Amino acid sequence: MHSPELLKGTLQTIVLKVLKDHGKMYGYEITHRVKELSADRILLTEGALYPTLHKLEAEGLLKTEIVNIGKRMRKYYALTAPGKVEAKERVAEFVDFIRTMGNVLNVQMTS
Amino acid sequence: MQLNAEHITYIIKDLHYRGIVAEGLQDELVDHVCSATEERMQLGDRFIDAYNRVLKSFGHTQGLRETQKEVLRSENFKTKIMLKNYLTIAARNLRKHSFYSFINILGLSVGVAVCMIIVFFVLHEISYDKHHEHANRIYRIKSEIIFGGNHWNMTYAPAPMAATLPLEIPEVEAAVHFRERGSYLVKRETENIKEKNVIWAGNDFFKIFTVPMLEGNPEKSLEEPNTMAISKRTAEKFFPGESALGQTLILDNKWNFKITGVYEDMPVTSHFHFDLILSMAGLSEAKSPSWLSNNFQTYMLLHPDADPKAVEDKLMKLVMDQVAPQITQVFGDDFTIDKFKESGNKIEYTLQPLTDIHLKSDLLGEFEPNFSMAYVYLFGAVALFILAIACINFMNLSTARSANRAKEVGVRKVMGSFRSHLVRQFLSESILLSFLSFIIAIGIAYLLLPVFNDLAGRQLSIPFQSIPFYLLLIGGAMITGLLAGMYPSFFLSAFKPVNVLKGNVSLGMKSGFIRSSLVVFQFSISIVLIISTLAVFNQLNFIQTKKIGFNKDQVIMVEDADALGNNRIAYKNEILKNNMIVNGTFSGFLPVSGTWRSDSPWWAEGKNPSQSENMVSLQNWAVDYDYLKTLGMTIKDGRDFSEDFTSDSSAVILNETAAKNFSFDGSPIGKKILTFQGDEQGVNPDETESLTVIGIVENFHFESLKENVGSVMLFLSKRPQGYISFRFQSQDTKAVIDLLESKWKEIAPDQPFTYTFLDQRFGNMYAAEMRLGKMFAIFAGFAIIIACLGLFALTAFTAEQRTKEIGIRKVLGASVASIVVLLSKEFGKLVLIAFVIASPVAWWAVNKWLEDYQYKITLGWSLFAVAGLAAFVIALLTMSFQSIKAAVSNPVNSLRSE
Repeated sequence: MHSPELLKGTLQTIVLKVLKDHGKMYGYEITHRVKELSADRILLTEGALYPTLHKLEAEGLLKTEIVNIGKRMRKYYALTAPGKVEAKERVAEFVDFIRTMGNVLNVQMTS
Repeated sequence: MQLNAEHITYIIKDLHYRGIVAEGLQDELVDHVCSATEERMQLGDRFIDAYNRVLKSFGHTQGLRETQKEVLRSENFKTKIMLKNYLTIAARNLRKHSFYSFINILGLSVGVAVCMIIVFFVLHEISYDKHHEHANRIYRIKSEIIFGGNHWNMTYAPAPMAATLPLEIPEVEAAVHFRERGSYLVKRETENIKEKNVIWAGNDFFKIFTVPMLEGNPEKSLEEPNTMAISKRTAEKFFPGESALGQTLILDNKWNFKITGVYEDMPVTSHFHFDLILSMAGLSEAKSPSWLSNNFQTYMLLHPDADPKAVEDKLMKLVMDQVAPQITQVFGDDFTIDKFKESGNKIEYTLQPLTDIHLKSDLLGEFEPNFSMAYVYLFGAVALFILAIACINFMNLSTARSANRAKEVGVRKVMGSFRSHLVRQFLSESILLSFLSFIIAIGIAYLLLPVFNDLAGRQLSIPFQSIPFYLLLIGGAMITGLLAGMYPSFFLSAFKPVNVLKGNVSLGMKSGFIRSSLVVFQFSISIVLIISTLAVFNQLNFIQTKKIGFNKDQVIMVEDADALGNNRIAYKNEILKNNMIVNGTFSGFLPVSGTWRSDSPWWAEGKNPSQSENMVSLQNWAVDYDYLKTLGMTIKDGRDFSEDFTSDSSAVILNETAAKNFSFDGSPIGKKILTFQGDEQGVNPDETESLTVIGIVENFHFESLKENVGSVMLFLSKRPQGYISFRFQSQDTKAVIDLLESKWKEIAPDQPFTYTFLDQRFGNMYAAEMRLGKMFAIFAGFAIIIACLGLFALTAFTAEQRTKEIGIRKVLGASVASIVVLLSKEFGKLVLIAFVIASPVAWWAVNKWLEDYQYKITLGWSLFAVAGLAAFVIALLTMSFQSIKAAVSNPVNSLRSE
């Protein structure tokens, strides 16, 4: 498992990217998906996920949709138009960051 | 596996119990927890175990709350939202207490509007003559001359000065001189138009001053004699739709002037506004070599790095070198410049910066009346005071009503508000209020500005297009809001929640010291303004009704009598036939300023003219036989001019001051006075002219009452010029005007008929004072209105606070009157204190203003009493409305609900 310290700066990027690839999702679904994609190596804690989602929503990058499922509500998140642009930029930025880190730490990237 | 309804209800309740209440997050977490629990149950866990495991992954109650806090913070930790919250609460508060908000906003916006207008006015006044490109390098010569018992401070310099300056003083780049010759009749073909703004000027005018030339060559246009440059509006008047360049206009029916230039109209903020500039090359007077007569306003442009002080020294040396030989030549060999100075005389020329003229100069021979720096400061101070009064209203109301808000502060503090939050909350309320007021103030200022313009004789407008104006407004609103909100916000936020919530604080009524001082301050200012206004009007009234030595009422003055040519006597006789007309006289020399003046030194026969103390500088007024009769002057001694004495052609009538200054031995009647003959080329020391004194006329004021009465002599002229004045005796002034005009049109159909009334002209001499008085009256009015608004709200508040007390008092038998007194006493006392503070301040200020007048009122106690009483009565009336309302209310209403 990766250290939460390493994850801190990338949380928004992960959320944006996941939403970009899968369309609308709800909070639990997002944790699940990330867990799957990282083969259990990245675990989003709820304490970090929800503040992130709400912050992105307040910034206008995400839009929400509330669906009534039986006795409870489910809140779906999806990217807005600026959110999509932002997602692309964040991913590009992160790839660039990894390349730079590779050079700095002097390690060969396998892919 | 799906959770059943029971499970879900359990989860909802449990999460709520654990403190997850944030809107939006609550549902979401329920869903999340449910989903996670379902998944665990899929793996075989029992519901309660699965739920606990999920909670554990959140970090139990602690973790859940932490998450909620994080979410709230991520949503709300944005300045925009925070401000929005402050503003919403502020708006709600304003709406809830709409009466106080209304008073606050009204007072503040009126205050700001008045302040805004004064600021426009002050900015306008200080912008004079700044538009000239070389403004800071242009200087005017100011001359101070003491001679023959007279003391002049004037703008006039000798004729040769302008030409000599650039040649003799290297720092002077160029110099130009002006000569005023009054107004001219101007025509293109037949119909004359009277032009007032006519000036003779030297060639370098356009080089020194920035007056854009629209047509013609600015360097050459004033080079030739009989050429002139005219303003755009004059060109459009005489040559509508065609080019004026190269055309010719006829001045005073005699002189042809060719137009060699058309220039842009001079801006309002210029200390001169010439419409016709005549080339000085054609004026013979300008070629005079005399350094002893001063008739030309002279301006110079210095080199960029020149030191004006050094130029001044060189100028004085230059002048002395020229003046000394000429003085000796006139007064004889033994009269040197040193002797001239020893006997208390003085000739001094100094430099006056161009940009100082409008605000700091009040000399003889100004082109137009100037304003005064002292008044700029005065108005600035008044603006600040009015704003202060308005801000104080706000502060007082906020602190007075603090009791009502104390609970709010207590609750907020208990809920975890920091003091800084509360300060920000209260500040945003006052800033919101201030912004609202500023917006309304723009509207009020827009409505008031025409009235003010009329009063001040200016054309100010609100600069809606200018960005700095808006920045200034926003800045002003911020600062006003901060200033007004500062004290209340710190005062209110300092409450201790324990005390407040227990109800121990009756802060609204106590802590009144600061509030009382502020009320005293407001009323002191208002009373100072009231006293000043009364004093100004008293002085004006004094001037208007003082015995001035002539009868200013029912005299009509017709201008340009010369235009009648040889028919002038016929015109006068024709008019005199009408029985409305009592008398008529030809003379340009009249006892109101703006008419002709001419002076020269004379001495009494038998005294030595080379001793300068024997010389008396006199106004020489050319008049006719009917002058004294028409103007209603009184002969004190001797007799008036009479056609029965042929010798009267060399007779003279002196005024009392002149008779005294000549210090004759015995009675002045029959004595001779002498002067040197002279012409435009200077005086001729060898030939003298003498006149015999036949009468002494009682002193009459012929300049503003700021001056003492100077020496005047009246002599008969064969052909006096200028005005023809008639004394009439009729209430129907319209008939008089019609009579004069119809006869005029018969004799001189092409000449414009222009007239004024003597009493009007007399009044105009005090127009500036009149304006000042009116402006002060208005500002004083606003100050007191705003102060009273505050007082009104304060009394309303006090009465409201004391409803129960009043109810009990009434039940126990107090009368309405005693309750009104009770309620009014507190603030009435403050007004009295304000009066005690204001009186000496006003006394000092008014005396300072009166120093300028030779003839003035003495400030009696009655003036102060009236002002004090006025303030007190106004304050009392303001308060009584609320007090009486409270006092007559039925005690049942105020007491039943407890």
